[in-house]
Amino acid sequence: MLRAAILALCVLALAGVPLLGDEVLIQYGIDALLFATLAQAWNILGGFTGYVSFGNSSFYGLGVYGTAIAMAQLHWPFGVGLAVGAALAVGCAVLFGIPILRLRGHYFAIATLGLSATLAAIIANIDIAGKNIGLILPLTRADAAFYEEALLLLIAATATVAWIAKSRFGAALLAIREDEDAALVMGINTTRYKIAALTLSAFFTAIAGGIHAYWITFVDPGGAFDLTLNVRMVIMAMFGGPGTVFGPLLGAFILSAVYDVLASSISTAAALLFGLVIVLAVIFMPRGLWDLAGGFRRSGARYLLQNIRAHRL
Amino acid sequence: MLLAQILLNGLLLGGLYGLMALGMALVWGVLNIVNLAHGAFVMLGGYCVYFLFAGLGVDPFAALPAAMLAMFALGYLLQRYVLNLIIRSAQLNTLLITFGLDVVLTYLAQLAFTADFRTINPSYAGANLTVFGLTLPLLRLAAFVAALLLASLLWIVLQRTRLGRAIRATAQNLTAARLYGVDPARLYAVTFGLGAALAGAAGGLYGMVSQVTPYIGATLTAKSFVIAIMGGLENPFGIVLGGIVIGIIEALAAIYIGPTFTDAISFGLLVVILVARPTRSLRSA
Amino acid sequence: MRRLSAAVAAVIVAAFPGVAWPDAPAAAAKTVTLGASLQLTGPDANLARYFRDGYQAAIDRINGQGGITIGGENYRFALKLLDNQSNINLGVQQYTQLITRDKVDFLLGPYSSNHTLDESSIAEKYRVPMVQGGGAARQIFDRGYRYIFGTAPPAENYFGSTVEMMTKLEPRVHTLALLTADDAFDVAVRIGTKALAKQSGVNVVVDQVYPENDPNFTSLLALVKSKSPDAILLGGHETEALNFVREAKALNVNPGDMMALTVGVPSADFRAALGKDAESMFGMTPWVASPVARDRWFGDAQQFAQLFARRFGYEPDYHVASAVADVETFAYALEAAGSLDREQVRDAIAKSDFECIYAPIRYQANGQIDIPQIVIQVQDGKIVPIYTDHFLNKPRYPAPGWGKRN
Repeated sequence: MLRAAILALCVLALAGVPLLGDEVLIQYGIDALLFATLAQAWNILGGFTGYVSFGNSSFYGLGVYGTAIAMAQLHWPFGVGLAVGAALAVGCAVLFGIPILRLRGHYFAIATLGLSATLAAIIANIDIAGKNIGLILPLTRADAAFYEEALLLLIAATATVAWIAKSRFGAALLAIREDEDAALVMGINTTRYKIAALTLSAFFTAIAGGIHAYWITFVDPGGAFDLTLNVRMVIMAMFGGPGTVFGPLLGAFILSAVYDVLASSISTAAALLFGLVIVLAVIFMPRGLWDLAGGFRRSGARYLLQNIRAHRL
Repeated sequence: MLLAQILLNGLLLGGLYGLMALGMALVWGVLNIVNLAHGAFVMLGGYCVYFLFAGLGVDPFAALPAAMLAMFALGYLLQRYVLNLIIRSAQLNTLLITFGLDVVLTYLAQLAFTADFRTINPSYAGANLTVFGLTLPLLRLAAFVAALLLASLLWIVLQRTRLGRAIRATAQNLTAARLYGVDPARLYAVTFGLGAALAGAAGGLYGMVSQVTPYIGATLTAKSFVIAIMGGLENPFGIVLGGIVIGIIEALAAIYIGPTFTDAISFGLLVVILVARPTRSLRSA
Repeated sequence: MRRLSAAVAAVIVAAFPGVAWPDAPAAAAKTVTLGASLQLTGPDANLARYFRDGYQAAIDRINGQGGITIGGENYRFALKLLDNQSNINLGVQQYTQLITRDKVDFLLGPYSSNHTLDESSIAEKYRVPMVQGGGAARQIFDRGYRYIFGTAPPAENYFGSTVEMMTKLEPRVHTLALLTADDAFDVAVRIGTKALAKQSGVNVVVDQVYPENDPNFTSLLALVKSKSPDAILLGGHETEALNFVREAKALNVNPGDMMALTVGVPSADFRAALGKDAESMFGMTPWVASPVARDRWFGDAQQFAQLFARRFGYEPDYHVASAVADVETFAYALEAAGSLDREQVRDAIAKSDFECIYAPIRYQANGQIDIPQIVIQVQDGKIVPIYTDHFLNKPRYPAPGWGKRN
């Protein structure tokens, strides 16, 4: 009961940010919310199923371009554009998911990366997508609306993850993460579950991409299928705590804030510090903030050293 | 005639690509680390050679050993004191940490060298020979020969020296190798250093045929993936061959499909090969 | 926040190369801040820096001569520049930041059409007038935007005078190879040039688009060599042009009778980087430093060029001149509008009609200027104007092969 009340308060507080009227805050906010959605979407596959995707930018890019082509070239409304983007991403997830999800570990990660890069390179040659120049979307002046839409999307994604965490679907995913061969032996149709997870992940990622495209008003292959985007969402989910419901949110909000504040004051150094944060986080808290919080309570600062001792050569 | 020239161009560039991928394949095969910062080492090697050439007037080919030494040291230190800390944790973590390193190295380079492009342009850069009606750019030929030499050197080290035997043993079975007295911390560091040194050499050569900026790393890492997967992680010459195949495919694609499709083809190949290959048991998740 | 921005702006202004500039600005009274996100580092840096220096030169000159009078009050200009490292996504973010966080009054543009195309959307979104000299593609101006103005003539017409000249050379140019990059500017150049060639009866035997991100010209050069065109036209930015010429030399692909580049030739360090390999190369420019172009603050273009070279250490080219024109557009428009109100200033800019070192400034209905290109050629390391609609000087034609340049 208390938890629900706190949650509701948080949501209301977030929803009220545009009322403050600070344009800069709204910019940060939209960024943070969209990233949180991306981290949460990644979490479904990477956190619960254990399949580390470095190619969620494929779905992001498809969402971006689906929306952009629909709006800029075909002059369809935003909602339809989002649907097109999501459809493209889901289609891609099903089509490529089947062969790629047969791979494990490193190979899966690299294959998803390759997929993203290939899509970017192909789109840079397609006329209707504006080739390498990209597309300009119709101009709109409604930042507050984008903020609320991003918030709604995040709520939907988090609710989905919360449902997964408590459902049999989620249990199956966790079984796959822990020991896929054992899960197979127990009769779980791992392929179907993996594809379902990938599809859900793709769906939310694509919608986030569509919103971002319309907000920024321009798309190009480099920005849409950006590899660093991939890693940022993985880091945020991992930093916060993969496989949990609120971990990715925490990770996304904190890291987003850090990155944006740094970027606006010392732009180059921001990226540098971000890289350092990644390195340090992997060394000291490989299981994320959520686990860190628990670990600290249990064993204090020794938690950090325990991690190193467990994983070093 | 056109076809022959294109094949030649692809061959020469491909040898260089192969050298570039060698470092990544070595580290991947022995340490099971996919080094996302590989391109950053190539880039840094390029800068080493550039500054030796532009600042001290050293001939770029003569500067290669110095660059390799510098990159070896960097790689050794990174592996010994940073990467060794997480080497037994989940594979995701090595991917993430090398990505983080890549970001750090790229932005350090940008701060130190600015984002301006540098070319290593020795006086003999434009020289060429005409052989059987084909134009043979001498600089590219020299880079190709250097790449082959370094690959051969690596093969000799791996096959005929004690260090090489230790490396191969560790790649096959770390526990057994330890029983034979291999110090894994040092060995891993040396291997990673070797990989970085090879990357650095490739960077110096790359700076001669193209240009060096802090950002060239990302695409080169990606290309190295493709080649490493294609060539297999065992034999240096397999990698060089893989590089040549990619170089030729790119050169052909540029004419017969379109210059803007080369990336689509390289990466598409990566995905296809990964998916179509029979699952290798090489320590998959 | 405002004080921080002012301090940062002051540091940026102070950090720029400045030998005793005769009209250094005194302590600012009221200021009008112009902001821009430029490619100060990265592949576009060499030319984007011309804009930085041009903006600076104009602002310092205007401030040094007393600033401008807006609605009876005296104002000085201030400049706030950010470095987007040649990354468009960063540029878009920075323009948003300049408007929302740093609260600049008006915007100046980045270099290159691709950047301008995307970043101008931000200016339009927030209704802040932007005057830019780096975006030549007509696509920028065909969107019905009201707040974007450009002093770069249409990209589609860059090779216009060149193609016309080709029909008048002895021996006549019958075939040409057209190689263009895939960014906004060069795509526009390609479309325009193909149409012009068709009109003039010149046959385009090679028409290839190369990727801007990874220009590897070896295959293209082999193709060009196999077709032996009379002329090679290259559309691309400076990095690509440099690479191209070097690879052409290494692969022994001679420029037929002539080679022309869209960028590079007018800029001094491009020519310096190539040395003898730049000889006989054709290019184009909408501007030369002639005393005919008179200016309220600089006297005339020739005086401007001398002052500029003395302060910044290199000869200005048309990018620098157009940057000066951008700043002067604001100066005249602010005075005409009599206020800093963005709508009124925007309307005043649209009605601009003044002389300056760059050209007579009059914006067409779509916001872009239209001035003709002059074909130029490198002769003995110097730029010689060759052709506008008639021959001004004798061209060195046909161009000598690579082996014969030393």
